Amino acid sequence: MTVHALPVRHIDLSTIRTDTHPGDAAAFSIFWWKDLPLGMRASLPDELPFGEAQLRQFAAEYGAAQLAARSQALGAPLRATFEGRPKQALTLARLLGAGNLVGELDRLAGAPAKSAQDISVVICTRDRREALAECLRSVTKQRYAPGEIIVVDNSSDGSAEPICRRFLEVRHLHERRPGLSLARNAGIRASGGEIIAFTDDDVELHPNWTAEVVRAFSDQSIDALTGLVLPARLDTAAQRIFQLDMGGFGTSFIPLRFDRRFLEETRPYGAHVWKIGAGANMAFRRKLFERIGLFDERLGAGAAGCSEDSEFWYRMLADGRVCLYEPRAVVFHHHRRELPELRQQIRSYMRGHVAALVVQYDEFGDRGNLVRIFKQLPLYFLKSFLKGLLEGRRGRPGTLTAEIVGWTAGLQFLFRSSWRRQRAPQFSTGRGSP
Amino acid sequence: MAYKLVEIELSKPLVAIELTLEQSGVGLIARWHDQLIGFEMIAVPSGSTLSVEELRILADQRFAARVHVAMVEDELASSMPAGTVLRSLSIAICTKDRPQRLSRLLTSLEAVRRNSAFGSVEIVVVDNASTNPATREAVERFDGVRYVFEPKAGLDFARNAALHAATGELITYLDDDVVVDRNWLAGLAKACRDNPGAGGFTGLVLPYRLDTEAQIYFERRGGFGRGFYRNEFRNARFDNPLHPVGAGVLGAGCNMAFHRKMLISLGGFDEALDTGAPLPGGGDLDIFYRVLRSGRAMIYEPQFAVYHEHRETIAQLRRQYWSWGLGMMAFLVKSSRSDHELRSRHGAMVRWWFVDQARALLRAVRGLRGRDVHFGVAEMWGGIRGLAGEYDRSRSRVQAIRELNQ
Repeated sequence: MTVHALPVRHIDLSTIRTDTHPGDAAAFSIFWWKDLPLGMRASLPDELPFGEAQLRQFAAEYGAAQLAARSQALGAPLRATFEGRPKQALTLARLLGAGNLVGELDRLAGAPAKSAQDISVVICTRDRREALAECLRSVTKQRYAPGEIIVVDNSSDGSAEPICRRFLEVRHLHERRPGLSLARNAGIRASGGEIIAFTDDDVELHPNWTAEVVRAFSDQSIDALTGLVLPARLDTAAQRIFQLDMGGFGTSFIPLRFDRRFLEETRPYGAHVWKIGAGANMAFRRKLFERIGLFDERLGAGAAGCSEDSEFWYRMLADGRVCLYEPRAVVFHHHRRELPELRQQIRSYMRGHVAALVVQYDEFGDRGNLVRIFKQLPLYFLKSFLKGLLEGRRGRPGTLTAEIVGWTAGLQFLFRSSWRRQRAPQFSTGRGSP
Repeated sequence: MAYKLVEIELSKPLVAIELTLEQSGVGLIARWHDQLIGFEMIAVPSGSTLSVEELRILADQRFAARVHVAMVEDELASSMPAGTVLRSLSIAICTKDRPQRLSRLLTSLEAVRRNSAFGSVEIVVVDNASTNPATREAVERFDGVRYVFEPKAGLDFARNAALHAATGELITYLDDDVVVDRNWLAGLAKACRDNPGAGGFTGLVLPYRLDTEAQIYFERRGGFGRGFYRNEFRNARFDNPLHPVGAGVLGAGCNMAFHRKMLISLGGFDEALDTGAPLPGGGDLDIFYRVLRSGRAMIYEPQFAVYHEHRETIAQLRRQYWSWGLGMMAFLVKSSRSDHELRSRHGAMVRWWFVDQARALLRAVRGLRGRDVHFGVAEMWGGIRGLAGEYDRSRSRVQAIRELNQ
């Protein structure tokens, strides 16, 4: 059945007993327990409204998953497996000692009351004025205001300035040299906070975002943070394909610690670092940049394509640092509306992905990166193609082709020796770094 | 070769399980405060003991996550208002020449029908053209069980006879080769109360015994198991473009319940399916499908559980797989004729089914698993036969039976 639009709706399972959806149209439901995101699902009109028993079952299953991942009494926090999924730690003995689970869920969902003044929010933008205005509106409406908000304007003519002027607390910084990594690094150099949090110009923040970032970094063992990226809208075919067929920017609602062991386990096959999170929702301790350097300026939109974030995960995990994926830190991303835009995005993702694999290989000598380029990716293309043939999927028009074209374009970096000799820039603030 | 079926209550201290020399494994039926939460088959050297420590590790791996969900659900449910008063229920049992199994089932029902949450409960046994009076005599030994004789041989003749003889608002069907779980009726009551708009219910089917190679093999291959989580089915599914054509995922015909008036208004069961010998299947798929197509939901409730006596011999089991293929295709042929709207889905389902069967068969051949190949071929052959006019042959056979009994 073809669906023409998929309105995104939010359901708080801690209060709602009855679903009032009229059942006349399809819907994409995102489930919450107060401000704690639980899960999401797409439904056809015939599947709506959800019955009371169905809602209770969602609450029980999603709630149990959150408790298992977050309640220390039940074995949390969870480490990530090879595949980037949680390793279960639940035992019957722990359950026998547990009581008032719903009360515990309420406690976990409670808003953190902390000042967010330690945070510098950095938003890189390039010629997307309207989206940027929406984004800044959400940044300035945080429950706990960040210490500073820096917009790095990567346009040639500084076109974001008039937008920034609308918001008193926003600093406008013009970085003329194109490239997302360059812009991000400029933002880091200009910032003053102990925690530097990034989001993109096509994103809107949940009002608790800064508070959740602060809460996550109150654990001193955490060096970096990624969060949940939910779809803001699923109105067009391109948006639905990106979210539902390609998995969007990740679909897990379970917090996970990614550490050196995750890297070591996956290294021989090309470490799956992109499963850690997305640049639209990430934050770092300033000290981490001082220790391992900045974003690699060969990567990212405007340069090789993307994956400046995942290359950074690779570098930090190899150095023994820890990244927490914390889905409580929520942003809403506006996916590309039109299919040509989506294909363009996929091409540059795949090109950037291959470039990052080359960079990682040069830096660390891990052959797994080459295995991924020459074995796993071609195998994935072949499988997707065969699957498409068998199932007659009309859902992914040209996206597989876009991936293959992007992969081919990425191979050029293997042959550019001067490109391959470059490294990510170092960072020193002159503030007495160790 | 036999598996010992053992019930374990996870809220109490675990007890080691000792096997005799004839037993080569354990079928663990796990409960949490009496609620069924899991089933696992574990091969163990015969004559050995499954220690408390081994059981504990197993329970942590296989059952803890499900127990956790049950605990949260219980807390959530306790804050819900008490449900409405439940309607009257008819329990229909269709049987033919199996008085011993029938008595076994009626005995298991004796215990559960007392203190039920339903306004009233009646039991109707439909004797489907038994050749001797033993079935009638078996029924007479139980109090308050009605006996109906249906001379037209065929399971769906019997089911329709029960439908019209029964008086309850809700009717639940049991095959004579099952025994009900002690919470069977409570599980159905819960499902009814929780889902006031649903048109029908299916439940968990666990093995009654695992004494023969065929029974163990069948259960290992999945048996009738549909899991330990409640499930709700409607007329469409976002994640499955073929739904509701693959109606087998809903449950099994040996344990199902419906609103009786709705079933009558749908025209009852298709008597050309589930006829016994030549076409012993497809009737349950057909009725699940038609309920969903009428716009009513079907609920799968694991606490609404029965224990099924699986086929004893390899030859019987082979025949069962063959009949699954046959029944599935007869159902698809029938549906694509009567339900034009979803015709493309029926065609797609036929293609998917054969590709899926062929793939499984190929894997079995490559793995040199002779038994899987044997059963795979049987099911596929059944499918081919089912596609090649079996529904029409069955219709004319059924018509002949009707005329004979006029």
